[in-house]
Amino acid sequence: MHRLMNGLARYMALLGGFVLLALIVLTCVSVLGRGINTFLHSDLGAGLLGGMARTLLDTGVGPILGDFELVEAGVAFAIFAFIPFCQITNGHATVDIFTSKLGVSANRFIQMVVEIVFAVVLILIAERLYDGMMSKMRYGETTFLLQFPIWWAYAVSLSAAVLAALVGVYMAVVRTAEFFTGRMIIAPAGGADH
Amino acid sequence: MSNIEIGLASFPVLIGLIFLRVPIGLSMLLVGLGGLYFVTGGWNVAFARLKSETYSTFSSYSLSIVPMFLLMGQFATLGGMSTALFKAAEAWLGHRKGGVAMSAVGACAGFGAICGSSLATAATMGQVALPELRRYGYSGGFSTATLAAGGTLGILIPPSVILVIYAILTEQNIAKLFLAAFIPGILAAIGYMLTISVYVRMNPGSAGVRPPMPYAERFAALFKVWPVLLVFLLVVLGIYLGWFTPTEGAAVGALGTGLIALFNGGLNRVTLSESFLSTARSTAMIFFIVLGAAFYNGFLALTQVPQELAGWVDNLGYSPWVILTIILLLYLVFGCVMDSLSMILLTIPIFFPIISVLDFGLTPEETAIWFGIIVLIVVEVGLITPPVGMNLFVINSMDRNTPMIETYKAVMYFVASDIVRVIILIAFPVITVGLLRVLH
Amino acid sequence: QEVTLKLHQFLPAQANVPTLILDVWADKIEAESDGRIKIDRFPAMQLGGRPPELIDQAIDGVADIIWTVAGYTPGRFPQAEVFELPFLMTNAEATSRAYWEFAEANMLDTDYKDFKTIAVWVHGPGLIHSKSPITDVSDLNGVKLRAPTRTTTMLFSELGATPVGMPVPAISESLSKGVIDAAVIPWEVTAALKVSELVENHTEFGDASLYTTAFIFAMNQDKYDALPDDLKEVIDANSGADTSAWAGKTMASADAGARQIAVDRGNNIITLSDEQVAEWREAAAGVEAKWAEEMTGRGFDGPALVEQAKDLIAKHTE
Ligand code: NA
Ligand code: NA
Repeated sequence: MHRLMNGLARYMALLGGFVLLALIVLTCVSVLGRGINTFLHSDLGAGLLGGMARTLLDTGVGPILGDFELVEAGVAFAIFAFIPFCQITNGHATVDIFTSKLGVSANRFIQMVVEIVFAVVLILIAERLYDGMMSKMRYGETTFLLQFPIWWAYAVSLSAAVLAALVGVYMAVVRTAEFFTGRMIIAPAGGADH
Repeated sequence: MSNIEIGLASFPVLIGLIFLRVPIGLSMLLVGLGGLYFVTGGWNVAFARLKSETYSTFSSYSLSIVPMFLLMGQFATLGGMSTALFKAAEAWLGHRKGGVAMSAVGACAGFGAICGSSLATAATMGQVALPELRRYGYSGGFSTATLAAGGTLGILIPPSVILVIYAILTEQNIAKLFLAAFIPGILAAIGYMLTISVYVRMNPGSAGVRPPMPYAERFAALFKVWPVLLVFLLVVLGIYLGWFTPTEGAAVGALGTGLIALFNGGLNRVTLSESFLSTARSTAMIFFIVLGAAFYNGFLALTQVPQELAGWVDNLGYSPWVILTIILLLYLVFGCVMDSLSMILLTIPIFFPIISVLDFGLTPEETAIWFGIIVLIVVEVGLITPPVGMNLFVINSMDRNTPMIETYKAVMYFVASDIVRVIILIAFPVITVGLLRVLH
Repeated sequence: QEVTLKLHQFLPAQANVPTLILDVWADKIEAESDGRIKIDRFPAMQLGGRPPELIDQAIDGVADIIWTVAGYTPGRFPQAEVFELPFLMTNAEATSRAYWEFAEANMLDTDYKDFKTIAVWVHGPGLIHSKSPITDVSDLNGVKLRAPTRTTTMLFSELGATPVGMPVPAISESLSKGVIDAAVIPWEVTAALKVSELVENHTEFGDASLYTTAFIFAMNQDKYDALPDDLKEVIDANSGADTSAWAGKTMASADAGARQIAVDRGNNIITLSDEQVAEWREAAAGVEAKWAEEMTGRGFDGPALVEQAKDLIAKHTE
């Protein structure tokens, strides 16, 4: 079970990583296109290239239309996709200065409660996101330049949010089992890096 | 209970949850949602906000800079830039008294120029420099403390994730904040090097010696840092000179470091996955805190506590300098137990309105930028103040033979140097805003 | 007081619209209700969320009263866009009154049915602020510009410019950095963004108006319904055609001061002649036709909407 959940969370995070990388490349291409466009329109560009400048411009070289919107939609998915992995590897920032003084079972109890609450919150987030998606669909909202329906972006993010909720529930079950059996199943590695 | 009372009551509840080891982002989200329940008398408002705000928080164009900078730091390490930096610094400084430690600080400063995060800088340079320090007879506590402190340069020297968040919260210009952070960042590196030379004189035997290197080798080592310089110039100057927006700059930097890593053979299927996973973990953690803070701050605004608090402080009639000092002391105290990002997100919406109306003899924009840089430094001190200092934990865990208490003792020298620097920057705002005045 | 209402909007408290319109309106409500209504003001998205979410916040009761831009949620209020078509508006007062009547006829029971519409208005004539002078349509070739609305984006891409998408606050930085060469906004907005310090050329269209933006000033329906009748009357007395016209007129009145800043700096203010404007109008006619066609595709009578808007504007323009 743990291998399955861990694998799912991992693949989702990798998918998010690839989307992030794609957005980085997209942004760079857009910057480059804008730079070339400016150069071709400049006196220098026209002087160096003559008629070629016009020909190149007519190919439509320039910033990518709607790069901004694609980054927004893509990065939202990437971040939702990162949450399951953060969840299953205990990546959230915590302060354990006081709890470190408490005993093992007290800590396990706290862990259990925290993970149950976290699972509830992640389920709530996914459910609310679904509601938000339905409302965007109902009102027919689109993006500004590319005019693709916003609910598409919501739907992609929702798939990751659902996995996050699933992983949240799984972690809650694990911590509950740990508390009642007194056995460690997943190491409570703390700490975060940023 | 009145709204103000509910708002005030939320502080101890929030701190209590955080100390019970509830993740900080989750704590803020819970208190924010619960607070909305009490203020509005039902769940409708809280749930309605949750409908679109997770998506809108995560889909922010300006915040998309954060995962990009984090990935850039990962690629920089894979491209061998951290090693090249340390080797170059060591070639020039290594033979001095405490020289290897100074080299580590120098390399941290260099890495900070292409990395937006303190923990990433500490962890990366720790892997490179810690074995070397120990090999040349530097004591465990001194070595770990040096790297923990050096790691804070990751944030103090631009680019910096925390400054981006501050810029967004206070509606300031990211490029100007980066520029203003530059000289204080250099001062921090110099201050740490001075601290090292003081430390080795006060604690003889804490550091060994290393023979000097021939000049040919020194220049050869220096030459190898050109990719770092290239990326730094491209990103920071590019953002400043207006070749692109900050987010575009982060994308260019990430792609650039990625390509360098690819050509150096550091980037393959395995390391790419690892850098994605590491970026994923940090990004999710940061954005969950951002989300929690958005809900908590929205709830606080509704209770009107920030406005009332600002009015109250104003009525006290204290001098602006006294108010500033009290706020900074609060940061130092909170920094002992909290991490920097959470502190910024939690406190700036409360403190910034107070500071922005005070007269420090600066323009409003200068005040905002100057305050931002000083807050950046004091929250970064929190990363190395015992007992809870994330950098201390990260570095100490890399050196199993050194007890935490040794690291705690040695790091106090660096904390002292930070405090001296903060006092200097407060006394002379021109150090921070001078570069802006010259260039604008 | 009996009722406290939360007024939420996206501009900082000291901007023109909050100080000249929203605060004045709220103070008037407080006074006319003898203090029984209190309006708490939350500027700059203090209650959370981003500007496109304001309209949902009014519907869901996150805020009680909001002010927003209809175009922040493209596709949701398609009919309001008719007033944003190039060269349709005359002056802000008449066009705002026309917008209200148009909304009453076509939208209050459809697009705007989920909230109580207090007022609708448009800002003063939008114009081009650019680094290099723009007089002829051909001067737009290759100019990277931030277009404010969907229809102006259509217009400028058709005219050969390169529209770049970005939020309003990013305009200053992008202009100073050369990320964009021009911005299209009304005078009123230029003061806060310091646009006159960043560019030297401003292209005005004489008596014609290049474009405007449709705003919505709305209240949560349940909150309104729950008010006692005499308080409803206070709100009603400050809603509708007159309030809309006043708001449009007031917003446009802020243009003059901001324009003076550019004049005082010695900037180049280009006023196009009627012949030159004709060239622009010709190019814009295509956008109008395209928009009408798009609307017809959505199940509206596109050309009729354009005619109706034009007639209403003409009726109220002396
Ligand atoms: Na940095
Ligand atoms: Na600390």
